[in-house]
Amino acid sequence: MRADAPALARPGVAVPFLISVALISGAVIAFQIAVMRVFSIANWAHFGSLVISIAMFGFGVVSAIMVIGKGWFERHWDACVAASLIAFGPLMALANTLAQTQTFNPILMISNPEEQERLFANFVLYFLPFVPGALFLGLVFLKGKASFGKVYFANMTGSGLGGLTILMSMYLVAPDSLLLVPLVLWFAGALVWFATARSRWPAIGLVAAGVVAVGIVASFQQINVSPFKGVSYARNFPDAERVYDAFGPLGRLEVYESSYFHFAPGLSDVAAFNLPSMPENAYLGMYMDSDGPIGIMKALEEGDSAYFRFLPMHQPFLLKDEPEVFVVQFGGGISTRVALAAGAQSVTVAEGNPMVLEAIGESEALRERTGNLLDDPRITVVPYDGRLYAPGVHDRFDVIDFSLADGTGLSSPGGFSIYEKYAYTRESMEAYMRALAPDGVLSVTLWNKEDPPKSVLRLFATLIAAAEAVAAEDGGDITNRFFVNHTYLSTVTVLFKRDGFTADEVAALNEHSRRMSFDVLYAPGTDFDTGDAEPVFQGIRDAYFDPQAAMADMDTGADLSATNIYRIALAAMMAGDGDGFAQSYLFRVPALTNDQPYFAAYLKTGDIPGFLGILESVSDEWGYLLLWATLAQSLIFGVILLLLPVVFGWRTVFAPQPGKVGILVYFMGLGLGYIVVEVGMISKFMLALTNPVVSASVLITGMLVFSGIGSLVSGRYLDISRRFLPKIFLGIAALLVLYMVILDPILEQIGLMAYPVRVLLCLLLIFPPAFLMGFPFATGMAWLARLEKEHFFLWAWGINGSFSVVGSVLVPLVAVHYGLDWVLGVAALAYLMALPAFFALLKPRPAAA
Amino acid sequence: MSRQQHSPLRIGRRTALGLAAATAALPGAFRRAWAQDDQTFDITTIERPPLSGRQAFIDFITSTRGDDAQMAGARWDRCQALIGNQDLWRDKEIEAFLLTPREIFALERNRARAYEHAFLDIGWGVTISGPHIVGRMTSALDCVPEDRVLEIGTGSGYQSAILSYLSAHPYSIEIIQPLSERTTATYGELAGGKFPEYGNIRTKAADGYFGWEEHAPFQKIIVTAAIDHIPPPLLQQLDVGGTMVIPVGPPGAQTLLKVGKVQEPDGTISITREDLYQGRRKVSFVPFTNAEGGTWSQ
Repeated sequence: MRADAPALARPGVAVPFLISVALISGAVIAFQIAVMRVFSIANWAHFGSLVISIAMFGFGVVSAIMVIGKGWFERHWDACVAASLIAFGPLMALANTLAQTQTFNPILMISNPEEQERLFANFVLYFLPFVPGALFLGLVFLKGKASFGKVYFANMTGSGLGGLTILMSMYLVAPDSLLLVPLVLWFAGALVWFATARSRWPAIGLVAAGVVAVGIVASFQQINVSPFKGVSYARNFPDAERVYDAFGPLGRLEVYESSYFHFAPGLSDVAAFNLPSMPENAYLGMYMDSDGPIGIMKALEEGDSAYFRFLPMHQPFLLKDEPEVFVVQFGGGISTRVALAAGAQSVTVAEGNPMVLEAIGESEALRERTGNLLDDPRITVVPYDGRLYAPGVHDRFDVIDFSLADGTGLSSPGGFSIYEKYAYTRESMEAYMRALAPDGVLSVTLWNKEDPPKSVLRLFATLIAAAEAVAAEDGGDITNRFFVNHTYLSTVTVLFKRDGFTADEVAALNEHSRRMSFDVLYAPGTDFDTGDAEPVFQGIRDAYFDPQAAMADMDTGADLSATNIYRIALAAMMAGDGDGFAQSYLFRVPALTNDQPYFAAYLKTGDIPGFLGILESVSDEWGYLLLWATLAQSLIFGVILLLLPVVFGWRTVFAPQPGKVGILVYFMGLGLGYIVVEVGMISKFMLALTNPVVSASVLITGMLVFSGIGSLVSGRYLDISRRFLPKIFLGIAALLVLYMVILDPILEQIGLMAYPVRVLLCLLLIFPPAFLMGFPFATGMAWLARLEKEHFFLWAWGINGSFSVVGSVLVPLVAVHYGLDWVLGVAALAYLMALPAFFALLKPRPAAA
Repeated sequence: MSRQQHSPLRIGRRTALGLAAATAALPGAFRRAWAQDDQTFDITTIERPPLSGRQAFIDFITSTRGDDAQMAGARWDRCQALIGNQDLWRDKEIEAFLLTPREIFALERNRARAYEHAFLDIGWGVTISGPHIVGRMTSALDCVPEDRVLEIGTGSGYQSAILSYLSAHPYSIEIIQPLSERTTATYGELAGGKFPEYGNIRTKAADGYFGWEEHAPFQKIIVTAAIDHIPPPLLQQLDVGGTMVIPVGPPGAQTLLKVGKVQEPDGTISITREDLYQGRRKVSFVPFTNAEGGTWSQ
């Protein structure tokens, strides 16, 4: 746009100005969420986060450029605003459309340079729309600096409501069209802005841009599913037919029918010689966001159910006749079918994903194919997570089954990312154990496709810690309460009997294991000859770091098989020496707790440099290592952004302004602290809200809106900031420390309530810290404006944004190593660090003095 | 005997039609190879490459097969890396590796990278496994010419091409029909030229879960698809004393599972599972294809 373009109205802090800021802010966050959805379905979600976090540096880059060219931007303010507003929409549409032609596959990322180029293309494409988005916000901040609290309020509230809008839209708008939501917000925001303009040309330009943007979205593919996603394979089956398709905030659920689906997780190898036939065409394949398949079992012919006995989930039923059964997660229904086939008197089955229940329970296509399974009079459905149901039940179930709850398997390629697995924590396991009848059996089956084992050892540690807690109440030791067996590189099953196994029961399980060809890893009263453990620990280390030494004694050396490692681990843990095992073992294998609910980060920190040389041997840890790389990268970017204005204008622009370092520390602290609380609490609140998408939406909306209100209120206290703001800082830190202690038990209680009540109570919990956290940024910015430190004003905004990215990466790293509680501790520290820096910020300019 | 008559009972109508079309599209030489079903090409007559040195190998392979000298050099170098990594250790597998032009089975755009320590995209979400895992699985099978070898997951055709130097009876099943057709056509072209041994490879587009019953038992079975259990039909079709090899686990942390079918002294049949290297080799194991999906994945 030419510099002499018609001047626009300058709305100051008029209501249309604020509405426009709010809508554009909403469009920015809605675009981020839409892109995340596109990545989840077409590719892998964590790459979406990476792309977004890099794109967010657009904010930092723009702020740095604006600091350097502040005079120019002020002279061309109207034109820049108009240009950025008009460009934002078409760039969003264009970026996503072009990115679909640049699909990349993470699996090939290391081996194929073209994949790296395509990932880079994604970075660049998604970066582009953030430039006009950030430019617009920077310009309005600059213009509205005198009433920064109000502008910031509009920005925060708009962002929060924008997030909520797109999440609600997911019920109505198909994923392919989701990009229309940020486009609508953008168009509305820009329209409000231009409505007050003296000239009509910008509005005409906007309408043209809107037509172009919608045209692009409507005409071109917006989600191009990678051929390496599970659903792409199903679509290639010659007889594949999609029998169900639904979408919502929790994702896209598709169910395919094909004779090519075969599931029998953990099936005994001897089934081949003992079964007259395997049930054919017995499964449907369920895909969530194109990932899967999870097998949904169809109704079987009478004679076909014999093969259930060859599945590991059948084992608890060897000990129980007509049991009352609780299945912790329905999944595809295999455990439920196993229980019914074994003669269960009743089956209570929980499923936390309403989309799965709706598909199987209500869709005619699936009801027919599954023989109306959920209508079976013996079945009671619990429509929320089993881990939340269990604490309300005591001494009731004869059998509790928790089998292969994760479709992708804990040890299959899901290891790229770090997810909270609350259903597997010590607290949840305790709840399952207490829900057992006094002589009831808990059966937990997990994939064990790792060698040397990692996740399964964490499961052992977790179950044994839970058993110790339960045993401490009813007395007695735990060594006669476990029976563990596995099939190498298939599944492992842990049976826990609350009052201990009798000798007859152990004999029966041993005999069954023998017949099924399952290797027994632990049985009460059996001492396995595991040999000396030390050479085993050394051998595993050598296998990675000194393969020649490891291979040298292949036929004569220690038994490094997974079976032997499991036996060594279980013997040590049962003898109370789990810590000794954990210290000696190559990988980190602590128990999962609600504070550290992760099957991830197995590398001990001291070994990471060694593993960097043999990365391909630990590619299941790449997600974790990628976090360290991202942290390093975001720190480097952050420092570059800090330095840019310094290099270009420190002497001329900043020289007369005291308190530089203080201002830097202040906004770094706020940027870090705020995002660490937000991201950390998204993980925490899943305890009560169970679903990551809901948790994210409640937290994003709640935090931003409440902080927006805080920033608005902060304007009233500007004149007494010197006295008032320290109290706010101390209040924030005190609240965060308090939350470290009290949040878990409160969230666990909230988790037992009706869902709307849960959301409401979670919002109430978010309010106090979020409200207070709205004060420091707005107050700091307002004082920079008041003291006419205008270059710092923009710089501070950029620093805050850059260190937000650093903080969001820091959260999972702190969480996996120190726990989620300490995430809040880190945030409290960041705010306390910013407190003294506030006084530096208040130092007046020499000229003003 | 025509190929359709070979088709197993379980093959679907659509698949059979697809096969008919594929067969019709095959070059003449390959159709003849199929027509002479009982006359397999005698692989013991294949001239073996010299293992004495790089140049000697390049001279041999360029003169006998007309291979590109640069590619031959890259093949030799990768082969040395496989030997150093203990992925290949017997001469017969080393020779098979050296005789197989991996670059021909790669897509045009990936040919220059054929001998990199990497797997390569071949479309339909499928890749050619990296040379190290191919070498290791081939070594683990320890084929002899009389073995009937079944491969589940034909893919690019590279693995069965290697096997065709070690066994005169390789069978290979691919689930993705167009891929199967493409690879079958590739074998046809090569068999009609300087690679008559590829005429021994029998392929079909079908669900490998059910094996290939009418050619059972197989002394060796090699599976290259992600699985949640070993398909019982494959265990049934594995000969007593036979070996099945399957890579299991997340990409990069995979373990080569060696499955044995053993007859106990009392006559009962049992299945053994072991890691080929007894937990001692974890390094440089290239992730393989299809780990995120596939027929039997979770």
